[in-house]
Amino acid sequence: MELFLMSLVNGILVGGIYALVALGWVLIYKCSGVLNLAMGELTLVGAYVTLTFYEMGLPFFAAVLCTLAVGIILGILVERVFLDKLIGEPVLTVIMVTVGISFFFRGLVEFIWGTDTRVFEPPIFPIEPISIGFLKMSPVYLWSFILAIVLLLVFVGFFKYTRWGLAMQATADDETAALSLGISARFVYAAAWSIAFMSAGVGGALLGNINGINISVGYLGLLVLPAVVLGGLNSIPGAIVGGIVIGVLQNLSGTYLDKYFPGGVKDIVPFVFMAIFLLFKPYGLWGWEKIERV
Amino acid sequence: MKKNLLFVCILVVALGLMLKQGFCSQEIPIGGIMDTTGATSDVGKDYALGMEEAFKWINEQGGVNGKKIKYVWFDYGYRIPEAITKYKLLKRMNVLAIMGWGTGDTEALSPTVNVDKIPYISASYSAHLTDPKKARYNLFFSSDYSTNARAALTAWFDKVWPTKPDYKKRKPRFACVYMFASPYCSAPIKAIKDHAALLGFDIGPDQDVSLFALDAKSQIMALKEFKPDVVWHGNTTMSVSATLRDALALGLGADWIINNWGFDENLPKLAAEAAEGAMGATPCAFFGQQVKNMDIVVEAAKKYNPGIPLEKRLIRTVQAWADALITWEALKRADKAGDLTGPGIMTKGFETLRNFEIGLGAAPVTFTETDHRPATGCLIQQWKGGKFQEVERVDLKARWPDKWEKEWLGW
Amino acid sequence: MSTVWLPCGTYHQSYEQDQGWWQTTFIRFKMILLLLCIFVFIPLFLPSYFVGVATMVGYTAMGALGVQLLIGYAGLVTLGHAAFIAVGAYTATLLVLQVPWPQWMLDLGLAYPISIVVAGIVGGIWCVLFGLPSAKVKGFYLILTTMAAQFVTVDFILTQYISQIGGRGQAFSLPPGTIKVGPIVIDSEREVYYLMAVLTTLMVMALANLLRSKVGRAWVAIRDNDIAAETMGINIVWYKLLAFFVAGLFGGVAGAFWISNTAALSPEHFPWFWSLWLVGVILIGGIGSIHGAIFGSMFMVIVMELLQWVVIPLSTYYPKLLVDFAYIKDSAFGLAIIAFLIYEPNGLAYRWWQIKNYFNLWPFSY
Repeated sequence: MELFLMSLVNGILVGGIYALVALGWVLIYKCSGVLNLAMGELTLVGAYVTLTFYEMGLPFFAAVLCTLAVGIILGILVERVFLDKLIGEPVLTVIMVTVGISFFFRGLVEFIWGTDTRVFEPPIFPIEPISIGFLKMSPVYLWSFILAIVLLLVFVGFFKYTRWGLAMQATADDETAALSLGISARFVYAAAWSIAFMSAGVGGALLGNINGINISVGYLGLLVLPAVVLGGLNSIPGAIVGGIVIGVLQNLSGTYLDKYFPGGVKDIVPFVFMAIFLLFKPYGLWGWEKIERV
Repeated sequence: MKKNLLFVCILVVALGLMLKQGFCSQEIPIGGIMDTTGATSDVGKDYALGMEEAFKWINEQGGVNGKKIKYVWFDYGYRIPEAITKYKLLKRMNVLAIMGWGTGDTEALSPTVNVDKIPYISASYSAHLTDPKKARYNLFFSSDYSTNARAALTAWFDKVWPTKPDYKKRKPRFACVYMFASPYCSAPIKAIKDHAALLGFDIGPDQDVSLFALDAKSQIMALKEFKPDVVWHGNTTMSVSATLRDALALGLGADWIINNWGFDENLPKLAAEAAEGAMGATPCAFFGQQVKNMDIVVEAAKKYNPGIPLEKRLIRTVQAWADALITWEALKRADKAGDLTGPGIMTKGFETLRNFEIGLGAAPVTFTETDHRPATGCLIQQWKGGKFQEVERVDLKARWPDKWEKEWLGW
Repeated sequence: MSTVWLPCGTYHQSYEQDQGWWQTTFIRFKMILLLLCIFVFIPLFLPSYFVGVATMVGYTAMGALGVQLLIGYAGLVTLGHAAFIAVGAYTATLLVLQVPWPQWMLDLGLAYPISIVVAGIVGGIWCVLFGLPSAKVKGFYLILTTMAAQFVTVDFILTQYISQIGGRGQAFSLPPGTIKVGPIVIDSEREVYYLMAVLTTLMVMALANLLRSKVGRAWVAIRDNDIAAETMGINIVWYKLLAFFVAGLFGGVAGAFWISNTAALSPEHFPWFWSLWLVGVILIGGIGSIHGAIFGSMFMVIVMELLQWVVIPLSTYYPKLLVDFAYIKDSAFGLAIIAFLIYEPNGLAYRWWQIKNYFNLWPFSY
């Protein structure tokens, strides 16, 4: 029982980080219809950028803020340089361009920072576990979760209560109507990508805190896809719930199923789950249903 | 139309840029397949640099009886398909020997290398490459992985187990942690379990930790159920340090014996206090230790790669030098015998080495036609109190001569 | 884009001529020249390095044909094709290495050709398995299921189970001399090239004929608007699964071919990167035409070779380039795809078609 609860709690904590990254993905899809396969590499870039700032001497939170700033700039750049020209192209083209972006960033990151695992030195969070009742939690997980939730609340607040957030929601709902009201679609796209970069970047920095940063942080970005499929491609609360569920699923399967399958199932269980889930509920829990009757 | 023309022009220019790889007859071509970008690049980069420096120094000493060595190497990123492509490229360049790297690709290429008769000196010390009946053209300077594993377990059994409170009250418990799917990590597992049974251990379930692993908590939690006294780790430094950190955080309480590619100067840097007390196999001395010929290595490192500070150099450089030095000796002997071809280098070069002293803290090397195991045991060291200390220099052949001769060759 | 332009004065007198593949003398001349190039000039007159490059082009084209079928002709986007090539390769390897063939078969050299056929069929069946969700899901979700196919097949099943068959290690060794086709032992660049040329030609012929038939028309109908296709009476589930089967067949044959070119086989030969590469190849070459698959393969392989030739001399000045070459390749791939998709979204086949039209309509190019 203790093992189960510990796995569950660990899963929820890690899932919070996945939820943050999934939020960025859903945002891009909602606002511009782009299915972004480069999420993993955005996470990677964010993690390494935070590490660089941290090694330059800034305290961790300042480093995170600088990463947010870099994320905004990168988001606007990527959107302007690569995606502006693809408005109107078929879906596959856009997906492949994001794939191209992902490879480009991955090569760039490896070239600049190398493939060795880097750790945040001196460590930001203490190593000894905090005990709540009989549950031992590593402070890294706990603080990451809290930071992720705070950022989620900030983003959701941005969408609901600020003018530009509302503009983004409007564009996501019906682009033509939004355009007719004078909302700049280009601004919205740029903002969507910037937020995605920011959320992925902070997610990467938090994930990197847990055990070090190396190229495999990028593969975690692929895990975002089962999360958004579960929650529905265009639902923000769906993304959050999806992220947490995937985190829990991964941890539980790691604890209980690893014994039966050599090599570990943690990495593919989300995908298998997603494949099966797609057969029953293809639009996710909260996604918009496209009803086709023939 | 213009785009087409542009395309054709680029093609022509590119064709013109192609250089012919040629060697003059007084040069001896040697190839290298290294990992500087892949899964084991944390130890591979240093090894690649060391190999380059070694060959440059060898050329300054006159090369092979006056002939210079042309050493051309490529990175293959620890991916077997790349290794195969680079091997074909080197074969086309007519190299006389290849300095290889990883277990997976070395073992995979071993039958091909046998057919092509090109001596392949690897950084993989897998025992599967030591039986000349199966792998006539594979060699390396160090005691093989299985010998190292057996030696490490023996050293723990001899020196550490008697200090435990449960000594003589029960059988000690042993488990292995490594990446199941990696041939390098899994190479010595069968041997070390056989040895554990021989010494009288209780053997627990293996745990799978990837070479890329950043987190091993679920594996440590599974290990805790078995409560092992000593655990073998088969991966490279990156994942070993992650595992050690998690083991400390979760309070596993076991001793660690680590294979030689996971035990170097980087381990205490990455794992901090979690590395205290960890033991490992060391086939040669650490970079900068006061042993014979180490001054040459340090000088060459300063001279050829001044941009890299000496504190960052690892034992891997020393390992590369060792492989380079035995190759040089073999080439010299084969050349003196007038037979500088693949089979000649093997029979008149390598297989004539008897207790050849490399220095650098390595055991003297012996190769015969029937046995390519260069050394009969290994030195086991421990990281304690801020430095590496010797635990025991185990000689397997002296303790189990029959089994060494008859049973343990080739696995 | 696929109709044959007939110049003035050429007319057909029989149905056979009208339906022929090579309808004018000029085309006949071109095609025979092409076949001569492929089968005679390239293997016999080029140095073996370039023959190796040509083999790589052929292998990429074989994989790309399967992807082109699914994406360009049937409208089913797939990002997991490398899995089916892997299935084909492993099936063929296991058949060649592990099955105790009767001696007469080994003497006649039949083991490998039979393995190729079986590998193709197994690849097809495996592909149908992962194509089953296409009956229910479309578009993006299908992409995800094919991605799942890639990860589950290669990273899990092959890496953990199949490649451990026979014990040690992760790779099956295929030293030169293992593979024989008839009396010919395949152990040098030229023989591999001939095998590739024969297989590719057969595959192109098969695909072209399929596309001209009822099956091909059904696929195009499904691609363009599957609901309308269903209303016209086309059984879309059956044809979708057939598309998956044929694509898997091609992938399986490509994989079985590949083992003759490699000294050892490991799951690392078929990473997700390769699936994405194949999709990139057909996007660059042009979706929806066989030419596209071939042009795309040629372009991508040549670009990668050029990159190597440019970087290696430069690396004497910047050694870091050689050490980190793998990363440069990754970035270059990304940039190549992005650049092409932004500036040439219809691909090279479109460019080729335009050039042909220019000459066909000359001097009236408007």
